[in-house]
Amino acid sequence: MRGPFRPRPLRHARLQAVLAIAAMAAAVSLPVVLVSVGGGVEDHELTAIENSGYQIVVSAGGEHGIEHSHALAATIDRVTGVAEASPVLSIAIDAFPSGGSASPVLAEGVIPDAFSATLGPTESDLFPNPLPLGDPSDTVHFANGSYAGPATDDVLVSSPYAASAHLTVGATLDLGPTASQSQASPYTITGIFGVPKTILGPVGAFALVLPLSDLQVMCGYASGNGTVVPDASDTIQVAVSGAISVDPAKLSAVESAIQSQVPYYQVTSLTQEAAQLEAADSVLTGFYLALSSVGLVVGLLFLALVLLRRIEADRRSIGIRRALGLSRGSIAMSVVVDGLVLAAAGAVAGLLGGYAVVAALAADATGTVQEAASLAVFDPRLLGGIVAAVLVLSIVASLVAARSALRIEVAEALR
Amino acid sequence: MNGLRPPRIELRSVVRTYAAGGADEVRALQGIDLTFAPGEFVSVEGPSGCGKTTLLNLLGLLDAPTSGELTWDGRPVGDRPERVRARLRLEGVGFIFQRFYLLPTLTAAENVELPMRARRLPRADRRARADALLAEVGLAGRARAYPHQLSGGEEQRVAVARALGNRPGLLLADEPTGELDTANSRAILDLLERVRAARDATLLVVTHNPEVAARAGRHLEMRDGRVVRDVAEA
Ligand SMILES: Nc1ncnc2c1ncn2[C@@H]1O[C@H](COP(=O)(O)OP(=O)(O)OP(=O)(O)O)[C@@H](O)[C@H]1O
Ligand SMILES: [Mg+2]
Repeated sequence: MRGPFRPRPLRHARLQAVLAIAAMAAAVSLPVVLVSVGGGVEDHELTAIENSGYQIVVSAGGEHGIEHSHALAATIDRVTGVAEASPVLSIAIDAFPSGGSASPVLAEGVIPDAFSATLGPTESDLFPNPLPLGDPSDTVHFANGSYAGPATDDVLVSSPYAASAHLTVGATLDLGPTASQSQASPYTITGIFGVPKTILGPVGAFALVLPLSDLQVMCGYASGNGTVVPDASDTIQVAVSGAISVDPAKLSAVESAIQSQVPYYQVTSLTQEAAQLEAADSVLTGFYLALSSVGLVVGLLFLALVLLRRIEADRRSIGIRRALGLSRGSIAMSVVVDGLVLAAAGAVAGLLGGYAVVAALAADATGTVQEAASLAVFDPRLLGGIVAAVLVLSIVASLVAARSALRIEVAEALR
Repeated sequence: MNGLRPPRIELRSVVRTYAAGGADEVRALQGIDLTFAPGEFVSVEGPSGCGKTTLLNLLGLLDAPTSGELTWDGRPVGDRPERVRARLRLEGVGFIFQRFYLLPTLTAAENVELPMRARRLPRADRRARADALLAEVGLAGRARAYPHQLSGGEEQRVAVARALGNRPGLLLADEPTGELDTANSRAILDLLERVRAARDATLLVVTHNPEVAARAGRHLEMRDGRVVRDVAEA
């Protein structure tokens, strides 16, 4: 007689199962990391826009930016619905701390009162109020189109820069437009401000705020005796009054009223900006998804292959169950459950793995990567969708394989 | 829960041809005419390759005749749809396979429970019944062992226990004592006979062992796919 039926060892099957779970886990963790981090950064930026104190921005392209900004801000102030217009000149200058080494810093020239009025709720906590810059409306130094008045020579420094260069309130800081200290002039530090959390990292954190007219004169955007480029700024940030900010129709009416005053500059509202950002981010998210889909598809194919092979190896067992009279439905069900357990184990391991990677990056990485990872948002709908896709595919693969194993004759399957 | 009532089984001109029409055609059964009454104990003997397993497969509805008719209580069953045949197998037939066919991923007890589970016997009932059956075949202590941890004879006894779980009306045993020593052979035969007697089940045993064959009430001998001798004892 023929010897008893002895299957080959199970070790092989177990190894296959472990590999399938690992492959699934890797495939699932990829989109978890990419999409969660991408989505988190997007949410963060949108929140930043939503929390902004101003809703409309007037900007100009080109080197010299917006001309006659003091006068233009006053004009925009008079537009119905406008609460405050704040011109801002942003430019990199050089700072020479006494006893420290010179370094470039980002300087923002502002009209103190207007700037304070256009700060958002989170930012306004970071700045002293009112700004201790001597000349609240910047009209002493700059008056009637000339810079003949006395400058305050006051400056606020950011806390990271103050910490790094050992600066304190009351100390003197030389500021100049170039790396040559001979062109620099002394300013008094009258305050320190905090820096909002940003994914740009520490680079933007070395910053100064000083009166607009001071920065204009320092950088040659204006001069005391006849202006070179009259009264320039990069943007005018416009806060609207009351409920207009949350009423898109009214906001866009204010926007067009401002635009009609400055047909040669660009006027945008942050709602537009948010929409643009969202559009850009959705492209990025789509790209992440496409990228991780490739990994996911490879993982799913591997899973399908393993499921097929397991059922192939199980042909005999399936034949035995059928010979004993178990219904095909119940056999197919147990095959499907078997596959589902594998797929679910892989998917769960992938979710946990992806989460662990993000957590590790948030804890131990540096710079932008760490910042971005710490902003990650785990969207249950997306993660649920990925898991569902994995489970559905395992069901389909199991059913296809079970179908072929169940179609052959019982006596045949036993062989 | 008992299985189906033992049926009266008839084979009329049953032929089973493997790879019919091909160059490697095998005529395993060449026109079998047999009737089995409920409660009969029949031994089937014959040289290797004469068609004993093929006959058992047909009787157990694992396989269908190439031609001829197979009926249970006058109703043709040979060509019923697989769904129906599976149900009849589960509820009416206890098969002890020549090669045991235990499921390698299940323990001895789980193997025995499997057909009872398929009939939705409550868990506690099937546990108790599996334990009792394993005890009857002398494997009370091996319920949790996997087939690869069992000797050939132990596997064979698990296969016997599994065949009896649903109290079938038709018991088909393909060399059920092939791997067993004399004492164990007797014990298994005693068990099969007890089960047969308890509910008047039909018992067919394929065997090369004269001592086993001697216990049957009717003896079939096969050769080249035909029944060459069919003697009933008085
Ligand atoms: N699936 C198959 N395909 C082709 N030939 C087969 C198949 N199964 C059995 N046979 C052939 O049919 C004949 C009868 O086989 P069967 O298994 O019924 O013999 P047996 O009497 O049970 O023999 P043994 O005592 O060795 O178990 C043999 O010649 C065998 O080779
Ligand atoms: Mg045989």
